[in-house]
Amino acid sequence: MCVLARLCTIFLLTLLPLTVAAGEFKIGLMCPLTGKWASEGQDMKNIVSLLVEKANASGGVGGNTISLVVEDDAGDPRTAALAAQKLASSGVLAVIGTYGSAVTEASQNILDEAELVQIGTGSTSVRLTEKGLQRFFRTCPRDDAQGSYAGAALVKGGYKAVALLHDNSSYAKGLAEETRSALNTAGVKVVFYDALTPGERDYTAILTKLKAAKPDIIFFTGYYPETGMLLRQKKEMGWNDVAMMGGDASNHQDLVKIAGPEASVGYFFISPPLPQDMDTSEAKAFLEAYKSKYKTVPVSVWAILAGDAFKAIEGALASGAHTPDAIAAWLKQLKGMPGLSGTLGFDAKGDRVGEFYRVYMVDDKGDFVLQPK
Amino acid sequence: MEQFFQQLLNGLAVGGIYALIALGYTMVYGVMKLINFAHGDIFTIGAYLGLTLLVSCNIAAVLPPTAAVLVIFLMVALLAALVGYLLERVAYRPLRNAGRLSAVVSALGASIFLQNGVMLIYGARFYVYPDFLRPDFTVHLLGLAVPGVRLLIIFASVVLMVALSAFIQRTRTGAAIRAVAVDPGAAQLMGINVDRIISLVFLIGPGLGGAAGLMVGIYYGQIDFTMGWSYGLKALTAAILGGIGNIPGAMLGGLMLGIIEALAAGYVSMAWKDAIAFLVLIFILIIRPTGILGERTAEKL
Repeated sequence: MCVLARLCTIFLLTLLPLTVAAGEFKIGLMCPLTGKWASEGQDMKNIVSLLVEKANASGGVGGNTISLVVEDDAGDPRTAALAAQKLASSGVLAVIGTYGSAVTEASQNILDEAELVQIGTGSTSVRLTEKGLQRFFRTCPRDDAQGSYAGAALVKGGYKAVALLHDNSSYAKGLAEETRSALNTAGVKVVFYDALTPGERDYTAILTKLKAAKPDIIFFTGYYPETGMLLRQKKEMGWNDVAMMGGDASNHQDLVKIAGPEASVGYFFISPPLPQDMDTSEAKAFLEAYKSKYKTVPVSVWAILAGDAFKAIEGALASGAHTPDAIAAWLKQLKGMPGLSGTLGFDAKGDRVGEFYRVYMVDDKGDFVLQPK
Repeated sequence: MEQFFQQLLNGLAVGGIYALIALGYTMVYGVMKLINFAHGDIFTIGAYLGLTLLVSCNIAAVLPPTAAVLVIFLMVALLAALVGYLLERVAYRPLRNAGRLSAVVSALGASIFLQNGVMLIYGARFYVYPDFLRPDFTVHLLGLAVPGVRLLIIFASVVLMVALSAFIQRTRTGAAIRAVAVDPGAAQLMGINVDRIISLVFLIGPGLGGAAGLMVGIYYGQIDFTMGWSYGLKALTAAILGGIGNIPGAMLGGLMLGIIEALAAGYVSMAWKDAIAFLVLIFILIIRPTGILGERTAEKL
């Protein structure tokens, strides 16, 4: 009897998370709170919780409050699969996240089988939206969009011998490949194409080899820690006459801290703009709220895109779409909604529409300055 | 040819740091037959402690840079040694008589604990060492412009390694360490306090690891809480390459690994440099299963 009663309790307890309390919408957030991208992940959590608080303080969505379920994916595909399973069984309608294409990819099918909406935020690899998943969206641009923009920027800059360097991550490699094909079409010579190992400290062996290839620009498509070390050691070698360019993964304030302001002068990268460089009222209001709560400004553009994902879901809920399928249908017809990083809208594949890449350059004070279009 | 010497020097500087960390692995393995997986994290702690001391004690304002670096160097080595000692007391000593696997699991656990501890205390963002500490001069050598700090790193690693060798080979305590490594039971019968020797090994190894962490911090500038992982893995490889349990082997292995990596990156392919380094390790282990300088003993795996 006792055993039976206990079994019943367990049964009821497992059912509990599935029943959503009346008057509450649950939204999941999957982000790297620990691991190598913990800084981005903690920003993502800060930004989305701030927006949730704001939504609830102004009466929620149609009288219903929003509650946020956060799971850590540690920037690791295996942990991400577990996190996705946890979120799938926690009764959320939609999941925001995550950072890193490979990490996002590990969670995609799990969330799709659970019939939930997922909005990737730092998941730029092209193939993520080419699988025909009906409820997958992303607020970040795709690598091919960035690759063709990077190629165009290099051609416009008049460079003749480009060195392409990536870090073998699916993001950086994808971007390097897209850029290479864009450059080949434009007839610009790629004099160097290779990968470094991320997470190391000493890139002098690589720089020595790069120098021998005599490029007139180096485009490193990887992340800011390695970019910072490359800039620092390049200057240390006394190799100052060749500029370096980066992709949107180098859009992080710590870049200048790592490289030192002197070594980073003239470094430029392409990226969606940060809210502090946007003049829309959405961006300004958000920045004020963020500053007053966390006493700092967001350092990574990817965390902002998580905020945009929340805005899109909030919009869907407000319009009366209360099931994952209704939310997905609403998102697909979305056009021109004001977001934190520009206007929000999705195409039939779930990719974000619109052009929002801009060029940033580091000035002699070590600030990222948005270049005119 | 110029490029070859440049790459050789690049490799020596990286290898010197690998060698210093590898010493910690090899000493602990020699005495306890245990791979101390938490050693890489002690290296990280050394880097963070160095920065904390620099910023909080403001030593650089009181002393000239060279003296400040020396003082910090000593303080970090001592504090890292203390962390190593505590690690041994908490994570390994209670398991001394348990199976070897339990100690390995405990080592992995300690590594995760220390890494996340550093993240919780200091946060996940990168920290950067102040620039003024870095000796900024260039030496012209064989027609190459070599950053002076690079030579200093190689020099400091060699000095520390030679000092350690002299200590192990020439002093009574060094002899006691060697005795415990050969046979702890017999050493105990000879009146050697095995517990104290093990504690001593856990002071020296982590002390050197912490010093290496500080060197990486000063030279490369950028530190983060995961840095111990990649350096630890490379240093462990270096220790195995040279023959784990063997002190000159760790030094040779570290320097060799650094040079192989630099030359592979320079002449074959950068993306494949780690693969090539591990390939060399496999070849050496096929020819000499105990590593380059490893002794052929039955009880060492």
